[in-house]
Formats: sequence, C-alpha cells, structure tokens
Amino acid sequence: MKRLILLTLIFASSAFGQVQPEPTGVIQTLPAPWPAHWIIAHDVAFFHMSDGKFYVLDAESDDAATRVKGIFNGAFIAQFIQATSRPEMYILETFRSRGSRGERTDVLTIYGKDSLAPIGEVVIPPKRASAMPTNYHLQLVDDEKLALIYNFTPATSVSVVDIVNREFLGEIPIPGCSLVYPMAGRAFASLCTDGSMMSVQLDENGEQASTARTGEFFDANDDPIMEKAAMIDGVAYFPTFLGRVVPVDLNGSEPEVGQEWSLLGDGDEGWRPGGIQVTERDSDGRMYVLMHPDGYEGSHKDPGTEVWVFDVANKRRVDRIELQLPAISMGMTNDDDPLLLVTNVNLELDIYAAKSGEYQRTLNNFAAETVLMLYGAE
Amino acid sequence: MKWLDGWLDKTAENTARSISQKTSRRGFLGKVAGVVVGGAVTVPLLPVARSQENPAPQEEGDPASCEYWRYCAIDGFLCGCCGGSMNSCPPGTEMSPITWIGTCENPVDGKSYIISYNDCCGKSSCGNCLCQRNEGDRPVYNPRVSNDLNWCLGTSSNTYHCSTAIVIGAALDE
Repeated sequence: MKRLILLTLIFASSAFGQVQPEPTGVIQTLPAPWPAHWIIAHDVAFFHMSDGKFYVLDAESDDAATRVKGIFNGAFIAQFIQATSRPEMYILETFRSRGSRGERTDVLTIYGKDSLAPIGEVVIPPKRASAMPTNYHLQLVDDEKLALIYNFTPATSVSVVDIVNREFLGEIPIPGCSLVYPMAGRAFASLCTDGSMMSVQLDENGEQASTARTGEFFDANDDPIMEKAAMIDGVAYFPTFLGRVVPVDLNGSEPEVGQEWSLLGDGDEGWRPGGIQVTERDSDGRMYVLMHPDGYEGSHKDPGTEVWVFDVANKRRVDRIELQLPAISMGMTNDDDPLLLVTNVNLELDIYAAKSGEYQRTLNNFAAETVLMLYGAE
Repeated sequence: MKWLDGWLDKTAENTARSISQKTSRRGFLGKVAGVVVGGAVTVPLLPVARSQENPAPQEEGDPASCEYWRYCAIDGFLCGCCGGSMNSCPPGTEMSPITWIGTCENPVDGKSYIISYNDCCGKSSCGNCLCQRNEGDRPVYNPRVSNDLNWCLGTSSNTYHCSTAIVIGAALDE
C-alpha cells in the first residue's frame, strides 16, 4: 500500500508540474541603452563612507522590490559621471589598504552599463579632493576622450586621464582655483578664490598648452556664486546665494562671462536657492533651481520647498513646482518627457513629471540611507 | 566634511534658523581669507586678538547640542559625542593640522570668535551627534571657509571621524 501511495505521488507531481531543477551561476545583465526613466541614486553612505553605493532604479515602477535593477559601489564619497558616447560610467574612489587606515589608493573605476561590473580602472595620484559630491569633481572633455579630476591636498590641481586607453597622463596645477568645468575641445575651466575663472587648454599629450584668466566677476564671500552650476548648451549658469544668476559661456577658447540676471521677481523677496545639487536642466534647455523662502545667512544648503523653472534665453521664470515635501537635492532624466528627481527631507526619492510639475511617486524602502545625488540614465 | 545632519530631523522648519539670524557674522568673513596660492598654503592672517589680551570667555549651553554657539559653521559629527570634546579628539584618532574656520558669536559676552573646526581622522564616521550649520560657509573654491571639504589633510589617514570647534581667539571688529 505504501508503495502505491509513493508511486501515485510521483506520478501526480510530475503530471501536474513540479519545480524543475534550475541551472546555477545565472547572472543578470542590463539592456543597452537603459530605459530613459531609469535613474542612478548615489547613496554616499555618510555614516560609513567607504561603503557608498549607486542604485539603478526604475523611476516609473511602483513595485519596491523590482524597481531595483542593480547596484554598484563607490568608495569614500565617490564622484560620478556617465559617458554618453559609450555604455560606460566612471567612479572616482579612494581606498586604504587597511580599511580606515593604511596606504591610500585613488582610482578612476570604469563600470560597464550592461554588466554593471567594473571593467577597468586607472590608478591616479592619491590627491583627489575628498568632499561632498558635486558634478564638477570629475568631467569628460574632447568628445569624452579625456577624464579630468579635481585634486585638493590643499594645493589644487587637475589630473588628466586618457579614458579611452585608460592611462593617467599628468597633472595640471591650478593654484588658487578649484573644480573642473568642461570646455569645448581639449580644455577646462576652474573657479578661483579671487573671483575669476581660470581656463586651461591641453595639448595632444594632455599637458598644459596655455592658460587664460577672466577678470573678477564674483565675490567669494559676499553673495558668492554657487559652484553647482546648470550646464545648458555649453553655458554654465551659476546661481548666487542671494538669487542672482551669472552665466559663463564655455564654448569658446576662453570663458566668456555673460550678463547676470535675477531668479527673483516682484514679490519674491526672501527666496533663495539652496541644497546640495541646487540646479538641473531638461532637454529643452530649461533651468531648474531648488528654492526656499525666508533665506538667511547660512541657509544656502537648507531644503527647498519649491523648484523654479527658467527660460534662460529670455531670463524669465516659466514654472514653479511646489514640492510635496521639501527637498535637499535634485536630478533629471535626459529624455523629452523628463522626470524631476529629488531627495526629500526624509531622504526618500520623490519623482515629479518635470513639464507638468505633477507628483508621481515616492521611491523608498530600497535600503539606501543618504542619497545625495541623482542622475538620469544617459 | 560634513553635511547632512539637519535633514534627518530638521525640515523646512530649520531649528538653526533663529540662532543664525541672531548671530549673522557675514561682515567678518572678508577678513579671514587664507587661500591656497601657488600650490602651497599661506598662513592665514586671522583677525584674532590673542588670549593674553582677552581672557577666556564664559560660555553657556550644552556642547553636545548642535545649537551650541561654537558650531555656527560646523558640518559633521561632534567630537564631544565620540569620546573627545569640543576641543579635543577622541582616543586613537589624529587631529588634522589644516582646517576650515568659522566666526561665531558667543551669546554670553556678545563677542565674535574665530573657531577652528579641526577634524579628527583615521577612523570611520563617528556617527553620533551629526550637526550641520552653515553660517559663513562658502563654496569649495573658497576652501578656508568651506565645510563641504574633508579636512583630514596632513594626517596619516584621510578617513574622517568627527569635528572639533576650537576657539582660536576673538574676532576683531571691522
């Protein structure tokens, strides 16, 4: 009788389908290119900085589990940029041989977008600026042939990397100046403490060919420009602490400072830009600025309650998006129907339709702790 | 280095706001411009009246609170919550000799003081008493007054642990 039951069970299970044995060793890959509304959320892991993470998320998904498409690492407050001409991402990282101590190694790590694995690296001098993330610590120029890295020891310089051949080329001193803003061709610009901008043209070996300097056009103390510019068609739009905008055209061989204008109109007194990534731009060339009311000395990193949208050609505000929760940082997808991405004060991600300003959803519960930078997929 | 704090428990109703409004010191900033020039650090010419001229000030308040007067431009973990104090590093760490500074008003005597926010380095984030206030903070292109930078420089490890707030001296009036 027992044998009969056993045989019956075996027959029944096979007849109605049992879980079949599966192969091991399967590893997912990602599509190329990524869907336009996939985003990258940089969790700097402020409470354990050596373990920063970048989450690839589907910003259109309401499923908290499956919206996570993959994760890659970025050690010790990494800096990040994506290529647009090849499916690669670059992460500026710092490691120490004994974790929090030991020999320091700085690396420009290259990640493949399909594998989400490190596919190469370039060891660079252990000088990269250790600082809160912005878009201007790491930039690509010359049709994405060169990667430029801002160093601060506190002497300031820029490391030049041939990112195609994955080779460190050299170091350019930029005394008294900081950060790297991409210029047309093989060139970059930096902001200087004296209120000017320095530009450097590089030769075919990545060495300094020439330099130039603008006149002083801002005050580093009194209503200073924020370094977190919106780049639109090669023009860097720098908001100031008090709400002016200073455009600098980087399309020529030297930076050209344009005429300043104001973010504020009648009745806007007291509003100021503030946050981590304060500016963004969409595919139509509109500028977005995170704004807060009742500004005061020291409020330039306070959360913004609204995002103001500007037509930079006509120097006028065209929209005003009231956020459902104040936000500390902004990002944007790169398509024609873009999503505005913000980190809210609860350190969750709120998603808005950029053109309508309509709130869409909140991305949370995916284990990130301190997402400070947001990027749309290139 | 240091950032954050606030957003974890401070929303648009910024608790630091009222303090900052009472203690705005922007006018002093122009006087404390130590800059990086020619690949080397110049010795900052601080507008400081040395201690022999001004006796140590009386202070009030809780040094473990982010609202304590010395922290007006700090951004990081308070060392007093990490085994150190507001002017000393926790055991086993190393104090950075290079730093950023703030100018804060002591509410007890109404005077402004130059505060050196030396970071303590060599261990990972303390994680306790995160405090961010940005009065007088300026962008990283003005590094001497920028708290966005990790100031664990000139130490054997650049791993950031916590920040102190050391009185360097009284700020001179303009």
